[in-house]
Amino acid sequence: MAAVTLSEVRKSYGQVPIIHGIDLAVNSGEFLVLVGPSGCGKSTLLRMIAGLEEITDGTIAIGDRIVNDLPASQRNLSMVFQSYALYPHMSVRKNLAFGLVNLRMPREEIERRVAEAARILRIEELLERKPRQLSGGQKQRVAIGRAIVREPQLFLFDEPLSNLDAELRVQMRVELASLYNRLGTTMIYVTHDQVEAMTMATRIVVLNKGRIEQVGTPYELYNAPANLFVATFIGSPKMNVLAATAAGGKVEVAGLGTLPLPADKQAEGKISIGVRPEQVTIGAGELTVEGTITLVEYLGSEVFLYVRVASGDTLLVQAPGQSQYKIHDPITLGINSKEAHYFNGEGLRVG
Amino acid sequence: MTEATITPAMLSTAEVARAYREAKAKRAKKAALLKHVFLIITSLIMIYPLLWMLASSLKPDNQIFGDLGLWPREFQWQNYWAGWNALPVSFTTFFWNSTVVTVLSVIGNVISCSFAAYAFARLEFSGKTIWFALMMMTLMIPYHVVLIPQYLLFLNLGWVDTYLPLIVPRFLAGDAFFIFLMIQFFRQLPRELDEAAMIDGCSPFKIYWAIIMPLSLPAMATAAIFSFIWTWEDFLGPLVYLNDMEDYTVPLALRSFISSDGVSQYGPMFAMSILSILPIILFFVIFQRLIIRGIAMSGLK
Amino acid sequence: MHKFLRRNFAGYAFLSPWLIGFFLLAIGPILASLYLSFTKYNVVRPPQWIGLDNYFYMFQMDQRFWKALQVTFQFVVISVPLKLMFALGVAMALDKGIRAIGWYRALFYLPSILGGSIAVAILWRQLFNYDGVINSILRLFGGDGPYWLSDPKYSLWTLIVLAIWQFGSPMLIFLAGLRAIPQELYEAAEIDAAGPVRKFFAITVPLLAPVIFFNLVLQMIEAFKSFSGAFIISGGTGAPLDSLLFFTVYLYNEAFAFLRMGYASALAWVLLLIIALFTAIAFWTSKYWVHYENERG
Repeated sequence: MAAVTLSEVRKSYGQVPIIHGIDLAVNSGEFLVLVGPSGCGKSTLLRMIAGLEEITDGTIAIGDRIVNDLPASQRNLSMVFQSYALYPHMSVRKNLAFGLVNLRMPREEIERRVAEAARILRIEELLERKPRQLSGGQKQRVAIGRAIVREPQLFLFDEPLSNLDAELRVQMRVELASLYNRLGTTMIYVTHDQVEAMTMATRIVVLNKGRIEQVGTPYELYNAPANLFVATFIGSPKMNVLAATAAGGKVEVAGLGTLPLPADKQAEGKISIGVRPEQVTIGAGELTVEGTITLVEYLGSEVFLYVRVASGDTLLVQAPGQSQYKIHDPITLGINSKEAHYFNGEGLRVG
Repeated sequence: MTEATITPAMLSTAEVARAYREAKAKRAKKAALLKHVFLIITSLIMIYPLLWMLASSLKPDNQIFGDLGLWPREFQWQNYWAGWNALPVSFTTFFWNSTVVTVLSVIGNVISCSFAAYAFARLEFSGKTIWFALMMMTLMIPYHVVLIPQYLLFLNLGWVDTYLPLIVPRFLAGDAFFIFLMIQFFRQLPRELDEAAMIDGCSPFKIYWAIIMPLSLPAMATAAIFSFIWTWEDFLGPLVYLNDMEDYTVPLALRSFISSDGVSQYGPMFAMSILSILPIILFFVIFQRLIIRGIAMSGLK
Repeated sequence: MHKFLRRNFAGYAFLSPWLIGFFLLAIGPILASLYLSFTKYNVVRPPQWIGLDNYFYMFQMDQRFWKALQVTFQFVVISVPLKLMFALGVAMALDKGIRAIGWYRALFYLPSILGGSIAVAILWRQLFNYDGVINSILRLFGGDGPYWLSDPKYSLWTLIVLAIWQFGSPMLIFLAGLRAIPQELYEAAEIDAAGPVRKFFAITVPLLAPVIFFNLVLQMIEAFKSFSGAFIISGGTGAPLDSLLFFTVYLYNEAFAFLRMGYASALAWVLLLIIALFTAIAFWTSKYWVHYENERG
């Protein structure tokens, strides 16, 4: 187990900067998820930690060693790739043992570790097969197995579940989480899927355009997003954002009416107000608005309503699965000041 | 649209459509037949000269010319015996010489070209794009342009009348065609394999040896086969560098048949010609799938 | 510096055999032959600088140079289009799931593999002998064949036929190109009531243009370089009456029969420039008749 410390880490391809000075401390034994839209630099950052990508500037330390100039194999970490990257010409057993053989580990020790990993991942009966004879889920298990036999101090995952179908993905998510609980090793996990991030992480790092937007537990990110980007990126479906003006402890929501500003918030001038779909109440609230349903998405356990309101905005509202709303129905919605999020003119959280 | 009913008009349209379909199928069948006739005749013309050579290798000299038949009236097997010993040096020597040159050339080619291809396809180093462009340019250089200075170089090294001028360039990745062929193949292998191997503690050489090579056996085999065929058939190189008949390769020896004092021994000459292309034909028959895929893959030659 | 070395070491290590070969056997010799082309050099005595004399002699006095050019051009201009037409015709007959395609493909490709061999060149000499197979066949049809090998009017045709016989590799490339043309285009044309000829010129040719172009360049270069056939059939000299004096044969003779290395180097450079020129012309003109899929519209 090891902590990972990044300070002022930068990366550019030629003149084009990709990562702009990242400072990040990964605690020993935590499951840290890097999440962000495609092209935000999350994979590059992971590959820099792995040693597959050179860093342009800054330092990366694993444990108390600065690893900037250390080749990947000497960083005592293992990595699971999106495409699994199993060696096609080797049996599962050889795939698992390959790295250990390269370390010139004694044969008995290699056999013990391979057997142990196979047992944990329930792939014992697959050991003599070639990768092409495996299903997607089995390949994924072998890839994870190859990572754990090395008993590294750090695991890296690069979108490991994105090639699986939806059902398997949920299953592997659970298995990964229990593997983490069992091993307790530091893990850094890259994904673009915020559900994966929310469900598995002890802490999440939200990246955007090569910069960190926020670091926090899933609870913090969801309930206290630091800025508009995080607010709209985390949570599915997305948070509703309305333009508003704050003055003298009151918030004038454009075209809809006024809300009181909660006592612990300080804001003046142009702001944005964010309300999650489940926080919009059906029926009257502190601010009551009338609207018309333009689309109904029935999900079974709940229903999402797209409601067009007087200001011209469309609000997304979550309703219970039993409700019987139809398109074109009029509806009354309420927004309450305590449940709303407030962002100032720069998009930063207020208060 | 409420309810669909089938009207008589629709039925007759269906009839017409069916008749059209049937006529079309019939036409397609006829066209396929014509194609086969054309292709069979063409392949017979293509293959006829080779069969004629095979037949002539078994005929007595006086029955060769003007005889179009492909079945000798009497099989003169001693043509092969006669041809084998027709020149002052036996063909045993020539075949041995050709084998030595070819085997070493193939080994050299596969090793050195796969090295270069691995560097171009998988490794990062400064100046790569320039070297790559230069490598592609050498594809176009005719051998005749470098022949004279190469000859002078080897002459000064004292390598003329040895096999070194034919073999050493093969160990220096002399034929860019093979580099290109292998680059095309290596690029199809996922890069994450290299990266996984890197994390598994492989050096670049170990990645080449333990990952890339085993996964590229088809490409290596294709390159080996082509380089076998071309080296085996090579005429200009041996013609320039080998002067002593003891050192001749098979193609040079064959030429001696026609240039030696006009005494014609056609049956034995054809017998040796057949033997000289036999290894190539065998390779082709065994590996034709690889060869044909290789052409399609590289788009060259 | 240490970092730079580490980053580049593996790449250059793997590249080193090629690099040595490139300098010693490719770029070095090319520059050396440029130098030699300005000298008089017979191997025995050191090269003697004579400026442009080799080139003056070549262009102003040397009848055989012009003859060699003429023969080579004639060969290229006649054999390449015929070969490509043949290759395309057969490829089209083979396209679209005909039965036994593997067999046909292999049979048609076999001559391409054997074509460079001396055995085939020897065979060709006998086929075109006055008493040979070709004339026997002509006699069957009541014709009287010429002296193919000794009549300068006909001798080149033996080599042209030999070149066409080796249509296999452009055929394979055409076949791959034809496979890449989407079947829906032909179906759409059929709905538009296009006949087979119209389909060929309106769909096959334009969509195959890049492949045709590729084959054309490649075969042209190959044709300029061809050597062993002409060398064997002409008995090494370009006979009869220099009608088979391919540029490469002339060059070989100047260098290795007459040991005029300087002059032969000048010839080699002219050959290099001719090939470069033809390739360049093909590339320049290609934009008028080759349309690549991705730049349409």
